[in-house]
Amino acid sequence: MDIAIKFAFDILAFTSVMVLIVLGLGVIASMMGIFNFAHGELVLLGAYTVYLSDEAGLGGWPGVIAAPIVVGAVGLALERTVIRRFYANPIIAMLGTYALGLMIREIVRGLLGGHYKSIPEPMGGVFGIGGLEFSVWRTFIIVVTMLVIAGSWLLLSRTSIGLKVRGALENPALARACGISTDLVYSLTFAFGAALAGLAGALIVPLYQLSADIGIRFLVQSFLSVMLGGVGTFEGPVLGAAAVGAMAAGLPWIVLPVLADPLVFVLALAVVRMRPQGFIAAGRI
Amino acid sequence: MTENMRGIGRRGLLKLSAAGWIAGAGGWVLRPSWGHAAGPIKMGIATDITGAIAPSGNANWQVAQFTVEKINAGGGIGGRPIELYLEDTASDPKIAVGNVRKLIQERRVDVVLGGITSAMRQAIKDPIVNRGRTLYIYPQLYEGQECTKFLYNTGPTPAQQCDRLIPYIIKTLGKKRFAMPSANYVWPQLLNKYARKVIEANGGEVVFEEYYPLDQAEYSATISKITDGKVDCVFNTIIPPGLQPFVKQLYESGFQKNGGVLSCVYYDENLLNYHPANEMEGLYSCLDYFQAVDDPFSKQLQIDYSKRFPDTKYLFTAGSASTGMYRGIKLYEAAVKANGGKLGREDVAEALDHASIPEGPGGGAEVVPGKWHCKMNMYIAVCRNDAGKTRYEVIDKETMVDPREC
Repeated sequence: MDIAIKFAFDILAFTSVMVLIVLGLGVIASMMGIFNFAHGELVLLGAYTVYLSDEAGLGGWPGVIAAPIVVGAVGLALERTVIRRFYANPIIAMLGTYALGLMIREIVRGLLGGHYKSIPEPMGGVFGIGGLEFSVWRTFIIVVTMLVIAGSWLLLSRTSIGLKVRGALENPALARACGISTDLVYSLTFAFGAALAGLAGALIVPLYQLSADIGIRFLVQSFLSVMLGGVGTFEGPVLGAAAVGAMAAGLPWIVLPVLADPLVFVLALAVVRMRPQGFIAAGRI
Repeated sequence: MTENMRGIGRRGLLKLSAAGWIAGAGGWVLRPSWGHAAGPIKMGIATDITGAIAPSGNANWQVAQFTVEKINAGGGIGGRPIELYLEDTASDPKIAVGNVRKLIQERRVDVVLGGITSAMRQAIKDPIVNRGRTLYIYPQLYEGQECTKFLYNTGPTPAQQCDRLIPYIIKTLGKKRFAMPSANYVWPQLLNKYARKVIEANGGEVVFEEYYPLDQAEYSATISKITDGKVDCVFNTIIPPGLQPFVKQLYESGFQKNGGVLSCVYYDENLLNYHPANEMEGLYSCLDYFQAVDDPFSKQLQIDYSKRFPDTKYLFTAGSASTGMYRGIKLYEAAVKANGGKLGREDVAEALDHASIPEGPGGGAEVVPGKWHCKMNMYIAVCRNDAGKTRYEVIDKETMVDPREC
């Protein structure tokens, strides 16, 4: 029983990390049709914000709070200057965002001198329930992930802002005719996706090391999650990420760890082959 | 295309390619401040100035400059100064092969030192030793089994890292059940093979040996095996970026709190800040040098190094091949001195086979004749946590440990 609870907690914790990272990617892919290859670097910038706040002697918290704002602002600036030129051509958008990501990554690598940096959890340690110990920070990540999912879903599906975003996506011409500034909506959506990436980076960096490649290691699995869940909905990528996260954490319990990684891809691609539209077909949000 | 454009295109291309040659052959040169009628001794350094392991490569290059400057300031080798040539191997064996060839063919260096990863050594040893007919010194701690004529290894081998540490863990610390979580590449594979022999010979037991992708982010399955299997020593060879999540999850599982020992034989001063202090506390490492080693020569070396490179982020440590670089250059110096200044590959190799240096970081070293490896002092250190600041405390030393290779 103890083992089962530990197992469930570990899987849930890693799944939350995965969902958190995919959320921003999924929002931008679903709402705007852009596969943002710089997503990993937006995650990196969030992590870097926490590092700066920690280096300045302020501790991690100001960084965690500032990360979504800072990275959201970076996202806004990128959308205004570069990304909006790519809307007409999603393939070029992939290459363009990849180039942006490469630039951000190498700049941060230079700033870090190529080193890995450890960042302590703003709330460290473990707490015990009934003789079992759980990591405080992983629990915090699980809770924040749930709140962010709920908040994002309410924002996009239950508010007039969400209605405008969906309208701008569904039929841009009609939305403009109704007085919605689709330019502004796109800017804000991208900034929102970037802010989610920043938050993800800030929350996960204490679990890993800050290095320029922190975003890269999750990028491919994130795209797999979006494909698996289905582009065009909010729930799809979240479900996809949950599935990929659970497989990545769960498979090493039953197969050799070196086989687990490729197996995640094999299983996910098999599902995508059978259900090319993903878990949830487009058109809900 | 107009006539005009074509003209520019062809000539421009020619010019461009010529410029490429010149820039490409540039590299970096560190010329001595004085000369000798017979000209300088040309030493080539091939290391990773850019790319994934640039921090180690830059430390290597700084230590090489530091050591050569010291030799030149002391009158060079037999009156001749050393001229130092650097080529960037860029953490990429494909780029490295071309750049190393420049050292050999254009610079015509007398010896090449460098390479950090085993993949790099494998890639550049042929252009240096076989096709280049030049002496090669490889400075990094590594998995052993490199027995190539004219290729000298000046870093520790698995025997040097395991022969003292593992019996210490089993006999002194009383930990007998080992887990070997490892990154999936050649160094952990071969090191584990040797370590397993030593563990079993000393009455210990390997509960599991497992390999992970280098960037694995989640280790709950491994941690559960460690707690289930009543493991009391983790012999870790996971490397960054997969390293930190593993160490964190191990710490969170309460492994150390319940008396478990974490040991990892590549941990040097660069890694002190890789984890929060409480996760590092009690970690055992075994290397040829720690900055905490109480040896006047080593201490002075560190003082001089920080004077030469004030506030540098590239430290003079054992893990980044820096001690091997120092040792390699000094052994080469000793060999050339011993054979009366002859620089031919066979002449130097013959002298190098019996070369020794009385002092160095962590102590002196001597080449084992016919084995292409060095005897050196080895130290066991444990990581201490002083109110959130980590440091190593040296707790055991063995002098002139045999590399047991070839």
